[in-house]
Amino acid sequence: MLLIPCPHCGLREESEFTYGGPCRDLPALDGQSDAGTWSQAFHMGKNPRGPLRELWYHSSGCEAWIEVTRDTASHEIIPGGQT
Amino acid sequence: MRRLPAGGLIDRSQTLHFTFDGEMMTGHPGDTLASALLAGGRHLVARSLKYHRPRGIMSAGLEEPSAMVTVRDETGSTPNLKVTEVPLREGLQVSSQNALPSLEKDRAAALGLMGKTISAGFYYKTFMWPQGAWHQRFARLIRQAAGHGKVDPSPDPALYDKRRKSCDVLVIGSGPAGLSAAVTAAQSGATVILMEQDHVLGGSLLSSDATLQGLSAQDWAEDAEEALRVLSNVTVMPRTLAFGQYDHGLVQAVETLPEGSSCQAVFWKIRAKRILLAAGAIERPLVFPGNDRPGIMLAGAVRSYIRRFAVAPGRSAVVAVADPQERADTVAALREAGISIAADLPAGARLLATQGKRHLTGLAWRDAQGRKQRTPCDLLAMSAGWMPTAHLFAQMGERLSFSDQTQSLLPPETDGPLRPIGGARAVLDSADCIADGKAAAHQAMAELEMHKHLNLSRPSPAPASAEVFAAGKGKAFVDFQNDVTRDDVALAQREGYRDVELTKRYTTLGMGSDQGKTSWTNGVLEIAALSGREAAEIGHTTYRPPYSPVSLGALVGAGTGMQMTPILRTPFHSGFEKLGCVFQTSGDWLYSRYFPQPGETMAQAIEREARAVRSSLGCVDMSTLGKIDVQGSDALEFLSRLYCNNFAAIKPGRLRYALMLREDGYVFDDGTIACLGAEHFLVTATTANAGSVWRHMQKCAQVEWPELDVSLTDVSDHWASLAIAGPNARKLLEALGPDFEASRQAFPFAAVREGQLDGLPARVFSVSFSGELSYEINVPAGFAEALLARVMERGAEWNITPYGLETLDVLRIEKGHLSVGTEIDGRRTPGDLGMGGMVSKKKDFLGRALLQRPGLQAEGREQLVGLVPEDGSTIIPYAAHLSDSELDAKGCAATIGHLTAAIESPSLGHPIALGFLRDGRNRIGDVLWAHSPVAGASVRVRVTAPCFYDPEGERLHG
Ligand SMILES: [Zn+2]
Repeated sequence: MLLIPCPHCGLREESEFTYGGPCRDLPALDGQSDAGTWSQAFHMGKNPRGPLRELWYHSSGCEAWIEVTRDTASHEIIPGGQT
Repeated sequence: MRRLPAGGLIDRSQTLHFTFDGEMMTGHPGDTLASALLAGGRHLVARSLKYHRPRGIMSAGLEEPSAMVTVRDETGSTPNLKVTEVPLREGLQVSSQNALPSLEKDRAAALGLMGKTISAGFYYKTFMWPQGAWHQRFARLIRQAAGHGKVDPSPDPALYDKRRKSCDVLVIGSGPAGLSAAVTAAQSGATVILMEQDHVLGGSLLSSDATLQGLSAQDWAEDAEEALRVLSNVTVMPRTLAFGQYDHGLVQAVETLPEGSSCQAVFWKIRAKRILLAAGAIERPLVFPGNDRPGIMLAGAVRSYIRRFAVAPGRSAVVAVADPQERADTVAALREAGISIAADLPAGARLLATQGKRHLTGLAWRDAQGRKQRTPCDLLAMSAGWMPTAHLFAQMGERLSFSDQTQSLLPPETDGPLRPIGGARAVLDSADCIADGKAAAHQAMAELEMHKHLNLSRPSPAPASAEVFAAGKGKAFVDFQNDVTRDDVALAQREGYRDVELTKRYTTLGMGSDQGKTSWTNGVLEIAALSGREAAEIGHTTYRPPYSPVSLGALVGAGTGMQMTPILRTPFHSGFEKLGCVFQTSGDWLYSRYFPQPGETMAQAIEREARAVRSSLGCVDMSTLGKIDVQGSDALEFLSRLYCNNFAAIKPGRLRYALMLREDGYVFDDGTIACLGAEHFLVTATTANAGSVWRHMQKCAQVEWPELDVSLTDVSDHWASLAIAGPNARKLLEALGPDFEASRQAFPFAAVREGQLDGLPARVFSVSFSGELSYEINVPAGFAEALLARVMERGAEWNITPYGLETLDVLRIEKGHLSVGTEIDGRRTPGDLGMGGMVSKKKDFLGRALLQRPGLQAEGREQLVGLVPEDGSTIIPYAAHLSDSELDAKGCAATIGHLTAAIESPSLGHPIALGFLRDGRNRIGDVLWAHSPVAGASVRVRVTAPCFYDPEGERLHG
């Protein structure tokens, strides 16, 4: 059970959040991208052992979607996270 | 009686009564069940798991492998409690377990029933070969004979709770290291929680005769406790077992409250910046033939029973203790208790066998010169050394490493939040523990920037004794709880199960509820000796919470029965109660199910309600739909990206049915988009998806398209929504006196009007789930009862009939309307649902690209169809599978689809069903089989379009 830093609410218990999966850079909705491009962006995540940028939704809090960089091996939250 | 006349931490002025297997026994406050049993001269308290061997009390702590009993008190009975962990209370009824039929005369043991059959790997071998042996020969026999206590099936009347707390420093354990660390941290200003599993503080000090800083060990502990009790930044928690360490400094613990408390136990979640694990060490048994007999105890336990509990656990003792200092201490303790020393085994002695049927009567051993000795005795105090209790440390995945120096698994240095101190890192001497606790606490304080760095040096782990004992051949137990012998470990090595994880599973070594607390290190040493490998190479298996068993009641807390989840009630709830509504749970909601009239069955009520809606007028609660207010200059663009159909031309006052896809192209949800103004929309989500659609919209607005000017508000709970439906719905709407025109021309289908309705502020949506002319009247939630009263009163003219979820479902199935969870099940494209034509080709939207994947566009996918019985009358079994063929002789048939809904339609007068059928739209008119092996029915069904009632939709307009 993690402690997750919400920029609005401070360090909060994981049970207040809903996991939103890894951050994904989805193609723009401009009618140009095909299923292959989307599939690459949507399905083919890196799944690293180490730092991972991911989204958390503070559902039982301020309802903000926040980005958190978490080390998937140690569960360490990396402040200001970079991967 | 074995109670000593003086000394010990017991209150002799009070006598407590309890029974063991029906026999009345007594003890005093301060006793555990174990000490009271021993004081009454009872060692034999259990029969072992596999061999039904007599077992006694080996330890004085949580590590006890054998002495498990069932304890009955006023709240019911609890199985598998260790006698060493239960504080004695008045009136406890204690019974032994796994005895056939009784402890003293155990049939299974007498026959040697299990001994011949169950060696290591027995289960693996019997499951594999010969075929059927397990089921035919062994299963019933073993299930009867093996195992522990029985669960009490009656409801637990005790109350439990859950609480949270945080602190700078959490100290687990209150021996010399823990007390010293807690005092140091607390006096430096840290907020400190000190947890102790026992009901008194002191740990090993309670049975020590050491002199510490000029005080007796007990006085030192008392002074330290006093120093903590006066500080407001310290919470002392006795009777609290810290059973698991989790991420980011979380420790979970169960506090058992004292007798007479309203609550039995509290489940604690503690967040700490630093955790000092002062859980001490567990004594390692000697592995020698017959080492499991009642009367054979760990040396530390013997000292504890004598000094802390004032019990003499025997009259004539053999001492087999490896460490010379501990050996001397044990001899001293035995003498204090007036127990004669039958033999004090010298180093190098070989332990050959023990005698005694239900209790130890003698030991056969050989001295270093090879001379065989037989020593009569009724107590054997044994010790091979000490094993650090670093379980909580290892639970987070860090490996312990075997140290040749200490002959035990040691925690490595760490910069993580949890630091083992004292015995938990093999520092054994009390004065060393005090120094270690102080140094570790100062280190933690410095890291938390609450104290300057002092750089105190920490004592080294105590080396194991160079003196060891040898053992003869015979049944020597390594794991007492699971009856695993040295020979079993050897067999596993011979048969190739050499990895520790394999040895563990093959032999069940360390797999009992004690998780191998007394056995694992001996297991490692046995494997090392047998395989010729270094013990350090053997490693260890995974440590998992809980450290020691905790009751499920405590983990569940107060969340049982009606407290399990919050119950949501709609604003019409009390109004419906007055109308005789029967409610049912639907997700978190308690929702109206049907409204029976006196003497009516549910089926009769549903039929009456459905006919009323089709022929005149009904009303139904729609408040559970998600309602999301969308505003902003980009509101329309935002919605256009979220929903797959095109509604670019929507005008204020109108609404559209809309379909939302997931990113991967499958249908997510359906609902309506009502245009309240050029930059103001109200969208609905289905009841089941109200939360997930809201979350999804928030994500799109905040993360995916932050550039859009849109603001979202969840107004689901702000509005009470009552749909009036039926041919007379418009007449009722007009009778309610709207301040807007309600004629067919002025207020057509798929529109929204805002205004006053008989003095109530209202939004009215002309939408229909039933297929009849229908208006969903929304009023602020506080006006729900007023609206319902007016609707029932004015609607009486048309015999308005309230209806619930059952009729709602019947009406929508007749119309072929979709329901989330049944038709919208996460695997359907718009095309599968017959809505392929709705998907816009003029715009991009979430899910467009991935919906184009070939598999989602393939011909012949399962498609939504209707089904009717070919004979026009046979009921179609719910959840049946569709097939082109009859069931074959084996009861099988190839499936080509399945049903999602099946009812007897009141409006059509015959059974109907909805289902998904491979290539369904091309099969309309075909006759198939609907098989339900569950219902034992197979019915011939004809495929139809999914809409059975008013397919042209003319009734919507009134
Ligand atoms: Zn927040």
